[in-house]
Amino acid sequence: MTTSTRADFPKLDASPAPRLKAFLRDWDSVEMVASLLIVGLFGLSPLVIKVPYYLNMIILTALFAYFGLAWNIIGGISGQLLIGFASFVGVGGFVTMVLLIRFSVSPWIGLPISAASSCLLGAFVAFLTLRYGLKVDYLALFSLALMMILKIIAQELDITGRASGMFLSFQKDSLINMTFVGKVPYLYIATGMLLLGVVIQYVTCRSKTGRYLVAIREDEDAAAALGVDTARYKTIALLLGSAMGGLGGGFYAIFSTYLDPALIFGLAFNVSLLIAPIIGGKGTLIGPILGAILNKPLSEWIGGTVSAQRPGVTLVVYGVILMVFILFLPNGIAGLLRVPHERLRVRLRSTERLRNN
Amino acid sequence: MSLLKIEKISKYFGGLAAVKELDLVVDEGEILGMIGPNGAGKTTAFNVISGFYKPDSGRVIFADEDITGLRPDQICKKGIARTFQVVKPFAQLRVLDNVIVGALSRTSNVSRARSKAQDVLAFLQMSALEDQLAGSLPIASRKRLGVAKALATEPKVILLDEAMSGLRPTESQEMIELVRRIRERGITVLLVEHVMKVIMSLADRIIVLHHGEKIAEGQPQNIVQDKAVIDAYLGEVKTDA
Amino acid sequence: MDPIVYGQTLISGLFLGGIYALIAMGLTLMYGVMGIVNFAHGEFLTLGWYICFWAFTLDGIDPYIALPLAAVLMFVVGLAIQAVVIQPVLKAPFLNQILLTLGLSTAIVGAAQFFWGAQPRTILVSYARAGMMIGGVVVSYPRLVAFIVSVVVAVLLYLFLNRTKTGKAIRACAQSRPGARLMGIDVQRMFMLTTGIGASLTGIAGALLGPTYPFMPTTGGNFGFTAFVIVVLGSMGDFIGAFVASIIIGLAEAFGGLWLGDDVKQVVSMGIFVLVLLFRPQGLFGRKT
Repeated sequence: MTTSTRADFPKLDASPAPRLKAFLRDWDSVEMVASLLIVGLFGLSPLVIKVPYYLNMIILTALFAYFGLAWNIIGGISGQLLIGFASFVGVGGFVTMVLLIRFSVSPWIGLPISAASSCLLGAFVAFLTLRYGLKVDYLALFSLALMMILKIIAQELDITGRASGMFLSFQKDSLINMTFVGKVPYLYIATGMLLLGVVIQYVTCRSKTGRYLVAIREDEDAAAALGVDTARYKTIALLLGSAMGGLGGGFYAIFSTYLDPALIFGLAFNVSLLIAPIIGGKGTLIGPILGAILNKPLSEWIGGTVSAQRPGVTLVVYGVILMVFILFLPNGIAGLLRVPHERLRVRLRSTERLRNN
Repeated sequence: MSLLKIEKISKYFGGLAAVKELDLVVDEGEILGMIGPNGAGKTTAFNVISGFYKPDSGRVIFADEDITGLRPDQICKKGIARTFQVVKPFAQLRVLDNVIVGALSRTSNVSRARSKAQDVLAFLQMSALEDQLAGSLPIASRKRLGVAKALATEPKVILLDEAMSGLRPTESQEMIELVRRIRERGITVLLVEHVMKVIMSLADRIIVLHHGEKIAEGQPQNIVQDKAVIDAYLGEVKTDA
Repeated sequence: MDPIVYGQTLISGLFLGGIYALIAMGLTLMYGVMGIVNFAHGEFLTLGWYICFWAFTLDGIDPYIALPLAAVLMFVVGLAIQAVVIQPVLKAPFLNQILLTLGLSTAIVGAAQFFWGAQPRTILVSYARAGMMIGGVVVSYPRLVAFIVSVVVAVLLYLFLNRTKTGKAIRACAQSRPGARLMGIDVQRMFMLTTGIGASLTGIAGALLGPTYPFMPTTGGNFGFTAFVIVVLGSMGDFIGAFVASIIIGLAEAFGGLWLGDDVKQVVSMGIFVLVLLFRPQGLFGRKT
């Protein structure tokens, strides 16, 4: 093998810092920066966008991206088949609403309590399903059953408004009640939550916990043989994801000012929570965000126009999108983006090797 | 000194005994081979030792401690690692990240786990593969990866379940070298194998299972001539024909 | 309480049980043969019913005459769904399978809403309320017929699976796919048959519900879910067990509705779900590899 002197590769000497290359090679870092950029764009959007309809869309996009990240921790990263995510969101919603409307507790306190309540529910689910070593289909079925049970409970209790649900009415802005006439304050909160979600997922994935969760997803037996207490870590994932869901649910309730148990514990809403992470790419950081950007504005638009006249179109769109992606793009958009990134990575690696020789 | 002891382990599946009253002793620093026809109970025994099955009766003693019925992850922490007959890589992760999972059993610090993992891969001469997706590796590399992951947990005993199956002769030879180097590192090896040549060249002692029971135990050169063993294998050969 | 009311509830329970049995048997078949949990199964019921509804509203065809039509149509639909939607994911991770059938379910519900609206509909036949009196209890003809047809179909299914060559081939696939292939069975065709039969059975159930039950796009899902509970909890590999359990659940729901009120009827199946979970946690099918 002929050795080459550095002079033969002048381009490499003049190339960008090796740090940038190392950074680009790392998919996680690329995702993180891209996600932060998007969050930043969301946060800055009020400077440019003034129409309430579009601001509303951005808020919902951010929120459903956040929900996607929350579900991702349970379903995408640790691979648990929890389908009925609406349970956690709905519980969070009702806790915050009840605390605010019945007990005049500010949502700033109510939201963390919502997170804790949903987390408790998550612990319950974990206990039931893991203690009995029940997996796969059972967890999926159970999570759906839970939704129905919660719906019935909410519809029967007076404190949650029975079948009519809960309404939040207000006249003017109130920071302490988290109620605002305009959309912009909500946008900042939603974007803040999304930022929180991004950070949580990023940190989790890089940590021992995150690595263990992925190992469990890939092969639970192999993980156990390597010292991973699978029940413990699956529970952690459930607790984290459910808490996040509850927090988001509380905000969703306040923002929508209306909570209908049949809707929030319904299959349609539940599916809408799953679309973003599935089409964006489950298990990735940027996936839920991309998925929400692609899906939410579209479905809001459909919901506002076509579906308002003839109901059901939104559901058909959701169902078809879900099927198409599972059949043809099961790793979502992010999965698609990894292919060119992988090629870039290999090229960067090989040029670095040449350099080092 | 006996490091791992199995006392009268029985495991039944719906009335059928996969393993019946099995006694086994593994001495520190030795390479013990476990052979037997298909269905003899070798993998079942492994699964009991590594905690994937709870025995219906009997005990597993490791370093004078009763570890019967512990979970697989607990057993790993005690110092027993294993590989699987059907390799189980974390397919969507890179090779290095695969091994890091093993290393994390001894440290919670990810960067320390990473350098440990790199050391293990270097020991296995797999450093060049660090960056590859585990799912894209050929079978021989995947088997080595399985060993790497197990080694990263710093075991005192490693259970190798048919590490040679599916390998070509040159790859088998590499694996044999590897097992020798593992023992040189002070790790006790219990290996299940089908290929007699491998067992003969590696094992200090051999035990033979048949229908879940131990039918012979001793030095390789004696085992090969043991009548019960020959009958057991010939019996299998007959049915194959 | 009033024995007449009990009698009515009994009849309702048997009727419901028969319906559940048809759904549950199809579900058991699909799971047993392919290892897939079909979350869209309840929607087959929806489609079966709406076929009859359409036939009745557009052409005045009586639901019982439309029943064979529904059965055949749903069989074809089942074949199509198997080929296009389910076959590709049989080797995919379980999460993908579940999400896929969930998507299918959602799409069908949406389509039903689109074509027929979200509000409850009924097939108003002249004999909807007809019945006979047995000791003061009104035995509604449609419900009686539904139950009888359920039993007949269940028997036919049993005979098909145990006495015919094709049926046995399907059962062979449930036992072992590689084994079945070795015997020369076209596994893919058997899969298609399975889904076709499953869809057809459920479609028949939908048609049987026709004259007696107000239907919404989401009704199928509710029935489907209860059928899931029956199949999943009972770990019933065999159809006789599924049939019996369906009757029991049907009766439980009917009496539950009587005592707890109609809205809370679902709580009964949930309750049974949780009870079996606590006392028979292994009573779930372990995932086939």
